[in-house]
Amino acid sequence: MLVLACGGCARRPAASATGGASTEVARLQRSTVQLERQLELAGGKEFYLLLDPAASELTLMLRGAGLRHFPVIGLEIGYPRVLWVGRRDPRTWQEMIWSKGELDPPRPTDRIVITAEAPGKGEEEPEPPPIPPVAEELYRVPPRFHIRFSGGLSVEIRPRETDGNAGRFARLRAWWGARWGDVAAALGSSDHDVVRLRVVLKPKDAESLYRSLPPSVRLLVLSGAEQGPGPLFPAAPAAR
Amino acid sequence: MARLLRRLGVIPLDRRTSLIAGTVAGLLLVAMWAGTGYRYGPYVEAVAAPSGGTPSSERELKTLATRLRARERQLVSRHKATAPRGVFIVIDQTHNRLYLKRDDEIVLEAVCSAGSGMVLNEASGKKRQWVFDTPRGSFEVLSRAENPVWRKPDWAFVEESQPIPKNPADRLDYGSLGEYALYFGNGYMIHGTLYERLLGRAVSHGCIRVGRDDLRKVWAAAKPGTHIYIY
Repeated sequence: MLVLACGGCARRPAASATGGASTEVARLQRSTVQLERQLELAGGKEFYLLLDPAASELTLMLRGAGLRHFPVIGLEIGYPRVLWVGRRDPRTWQEMIWSKGELDPPRPTDRIVITAEAPGKGEEEPEPPPIPPVAEELYRVPPRFHIRFSGGLSVEIRPRETDGNAGRFARLRAWWGARWGDVAAALGSSDHDVVRLRVVLKPKDAESLYRSLPPSVRLLVLSGAEQGPGPLFPAAPAAR
Repeated sequence: MARLLRRLGVIPLDRRTSLIAGTVAGLLLVAMWAGTGYRYGPYVEAVAAPSGGTPSSERELKTLATRLRARERQLVSRHKATAPRGVFIVIDQTHNRLYLKRDDEIVLEAVCSAGSGMVLNEASGKKRQWVFDTPRGSFEVLSRAENPVWRKPDWAFVEESQPIPKNPADRLDYGSLGEYALYFGNGYMIHGTLYERLLGRAVSHGCIRVGRDDLRKVWAAAKPGTHIYIY
C-alpha cells in the first residue's frame, strides 16, 4: 500500500509538469505566429495598425517604424445578433492580418482646381492660388466612425465623452442613427462587420486618426501572450 | 376601410380587438428591433488551440518547447532589426507636422507645410495637368544641399501664366528654398521657405517646407540615409 501511495504521488507531479509544458508550448506557438505576422507587415509597403490590448495602444506603423501612438481607453468586442439569436462567426480573427481597411464614412475630399491662363493673355498678374483650409476647418469628424477591413472585421472608433459633451437631443439623434446602422449591418451580408472591435480613444486622438489615416491600411491585433484567457480591458465607458 | 376588408374577405375586427392586435404587433416589432444589432462585451483574449497537434509526452513537449524558444529568439532579433535605429523623420501631412525622432522618442516637433493637393491645368499648349500632393510612404534622405538653388519646373511658370523659358539659366531661382534642402527622391525635398506665416497650412507643391530654426535642427541631425516616413 505504501508503494502504491508513493506511485500515486510520483504520478501527480508528472501530470502537472506536462500541463505546464503544454501551456508553455502553446504560448511559444502564439508568440512565434505573432512575430511572424509583425515581420510580414514590416516587410510590406503598406501602412498598418497594431492594436496591443495589453499595452492599451493603437499604433500606426510603416516598415516597422511607429509613426503615431494612440492610447486606448476602452476596448470591447461585438458580434451581430438577429432577433436575439447571436450570429457569432467561428473564424479566428486574432493573430491574423486584416487588410484593405477603409474609413466609413470616408473623408470628404475637396481639391482646388486651377486652370492657368496662357502666357501674355492677361494684362494683370495672375491672382495667387487660394490658401487651402486646414483639415479642422474643412470638415467635422463624425461622432463614431469605422475602419472596415476586407473579410468582415471592423473597428469602431468612439471618442470618449463625445456623447457627454453633446446636448440631449444631439445624443439621442446620434444613438438613434447608430442603432439603425447596427440593425442594418447585423441584417446585412455575412461578410460585413462579422466582428466589431469598439475602440475608445480621447476625442483629439480619434479626430486625428480619422483625418490622417492612410488608405488601404492593414491591421493586426496582438494577443497578450503572457496573459491567460479573461478580460484584458475595462469595458468601454458608457455614454452619459 | 371596413368596406375594403369586407371585399377582401377579411373578417372585420371590432375596435377593441384591433387595438389589442395592433399593440401586440407593435410590441413584437420593438422586441425584434431591440434584439437585432450588435451585442458588445469586454474584450477577452481567445486562447487558440496549439496548431499541428501537441505531443503528449513530457519529453516531446520539452523538445518542442526548446525548438520554439530558439525560433522565438530568432524572430525577436529579426523584429528588432526592422525598427529604424537612430534618427528618423516622421511627417504628418494632414496636420502639417514634422517629427524628428530618435529611437521612438520625439526630439523635435516642427510645424511644416505639406502639399496643397491643388490641381493645376494648363489651358494651352500641351494642356498638361499637375497635382500637388506630397507622396505617402517610406523614403530616405538621398542627398543634401546648402543654400540650394531651385531649378523651376514647367508648372512653376504655367502657374504664374509665364512663358516657359528656353534658356535653362532662366529657370534658376536663388533663395526661395531657404538655407538647406534634403532631397528624398522624384524631385521632392524638405526645404526652407520665404512664407513662414503660412507654415501649418498645406500650401506647398508637394515638398515639405519647414521654418528656418527647425530646418537647422533637421539639417544637423538628418544625414544621407536617414529614413523619412510620410503619412
